[in-house]
Amino acid sequence: MISIRNISANAGSFILKDINLEIKDGEYFVVVGPTGSGKTILLECLAGLQRLRGGEILISGKNITPVPPERRELGYVPQDYALFPFLDVRENIIFGLQPKKISKQELEKKVSSLANLLSIHHLLDRNVRTLSGGEKQRVAIARALAISPKVLLLDEPMGSLDVRTAKYLRLELKRYHEELGITTIHVTHNLIEAEEMAERMAILHMGQIEQVGTPDEVFFYPKSPFVADFIGTPNILDCDYYNDIGHGLIEAVCGGVPIILPHHDGPVRKLTLLPRDVYVTTRTPPGPGINRFRGTVMEITPFSSLIKLTIKVGEINLLAELPQDIFEEMDIRTGHEVHLILKLRSLRVY
Amino acid sequence: MKGFFSLPGERLFHVATLSALGFLLLFFVGIISSLATYTDWRQFFSILFSKEILFAIRLTLFTSTMATIISMVFAVPAAYAISKTNFRGKNIVDTILDLPIVISPIALGAALLVFFNTSLGRALEGNLMRFVFEVPGIVLAQFTIISALAVRLLKATFDSINPRYERVGRTLGYTKIKVFFKVTLPLARNGLIAASILTWARAVGEFGATVTVAGAMKMKTETLPIAIFLNLAQAEVERAIAVVFVLVAIAVIALVILRRFTSRRQTS
Repeated sequence: MISIRNISANAGSFILKDINLEIKDGEYFVVVGPTGSGKTILLECLAGLQRLRGGEILISGKNITPVPPERRELGYVPQDYALFPFLDVRENIIFGLQPKKISKQELEKKVSSLANLLSIHHLLDRNVRTLSGGEKQRVAIARALAISPKVLLLDEPMGSLDVRTAKYLRLELKRYHEELGITTIHVTHNLIEAEEMAERMAILHMGQIEQVGTPDEVFFYPKSPFVADFIGTPNILDCDYYNDIGHGLIEAVCGGVPIILPHHDGPVRKLTLLPRDVYVTTRTPPGPGINRFRGTVMEITPFSSLIKLTIKVGEINLLAELPQDIFEEMDIRTGHEVHLILKLRSLRVY
Repeated sequence: MKGFFSLPGERLFHVATLSALGFLLLFFVGIISSLATYTDWRQFFSILFSKEILFAIRLTLFTSTMATIISMVFAVPAAYAISKTNFRGKNIVDTILDLPIVISPIALGAALLVFFNTSLGRALEGNLMRFVFEVPGIVLAQFTIISALAVRLLKATFDSINPRYERVGRTLGYTKIKVFFKVTLPLARNGLIAASILTWARAVGEFGATVTVAGAMKMKTETLPIAIFLNLAQAEVERAIAVVFVLVAIAVIALVILRRFTSRRQTS
């Protein structure tokens, strides 16, 4: 268990204020927040790389606040990985083992097992400058894991990867975590990454924690206007009729609209759906008409690189989100009629 | 290229900048090659291998290498401190360290000479070693001129090192000192070599402070620049030119090596 109690830190003009977190053993915990929210500083405080102004950090009940970074035994993977360019891949991996004066045989054994876990056997003799972003990430994780750390700290591990590689490596990271069972604290600005990876997550904003919870708790019950704004307010519909129609499906009427839902144990009271999971199109979509509706655009609000649409369907308003370029291509205006498709897998039932 | 500079204004700008470059190139090549026209090549090698010039070469290589080593011993930690540590008055310290670069070397030499006339200076000369009009004085004068330059160059090297490398080193079990030797110095390797070459080349050509502190004594404190000065003063122009060629050759070799390291640094 990692207990972060009331920690505060100053880094230049930036202040981290009264952070309190409890992270369970073996948990995959994600800290998410916009750029400049203090995520990296929080991770550096844990690693002992930032001096605390107040508070304490305990690992398994032991206060590690006064312990210098070299004796904390935490595996740290910084942004851009910081692989040592004057060493090859193998030398990078064993770098943390050298102060421990381990025999050559044991070193080789360790390198081999890490190379197997991370599928980097073929890279061991390569110059780190010649590695791709994804390869660098795996080598950096191997280097951090080599010291057999109690906790793995990942700072924006997908930050410099293309979408496809990032998607693949998210699955890989999950696999390493499952195999090793190591407590992992992962910092990111990417909400989708956080939702996909986290067992629990914390939302950080201007050096303070806004909310801690499972992705579902955070996404569907945002505790503050900032969290709601950051994750995008979900559509919440009250359901007043439901019927199991077999094949793992439920037919329900939520917000006065007939909807097909995935099977759910227990009563169906509420249905939630994130705006980004409401597909909008100006043309009649092909295929069966399940979870497809016609609605009228009531409001158009630009939000960063996204456009938020309020669409009236029957008696209810649904929120949808579109990337700006797609929105401009569709030429949607207020009062236009559009077709909506609700993504079945993203519907959450309560 | 033709299309790129097709607009009349752009072409004019292009011609103006290239003309300035051409002028400077011609100027430098012209003054160096004018030396060749004044050289009697039959006598050149006998002058070059004369006892006096060989002494000057040996003395210059010895003193400049010593001054470079000593300045590096101080400049590496000092540059690291000014690059990576925040402390009150850092800007003032930074400015003071820049002073020896902009102050005339002869003024610094005069300051050293005055220093050795104070009680502390006299005590140093009496108990440690003699500097004024002696070889250690040359090393000290060169050290005074090049150490600030070494700090400036090394600070730029340390500034360019991403602090994340050192942070990762700490989390991998290395203390601050071990990280400096195992992470920072290897990362700064090319910068260290480049700074050593530049400061060494600067020490080789140092004249103003050296002549003030160590004097211009034939076969005693006669470095290569002092040899030029002494031979010109005695109207031995051909001997002076031979020494100029030695200095030019040293400078060219230093710059070629420097370019190799700096280009490697840029590609790394």
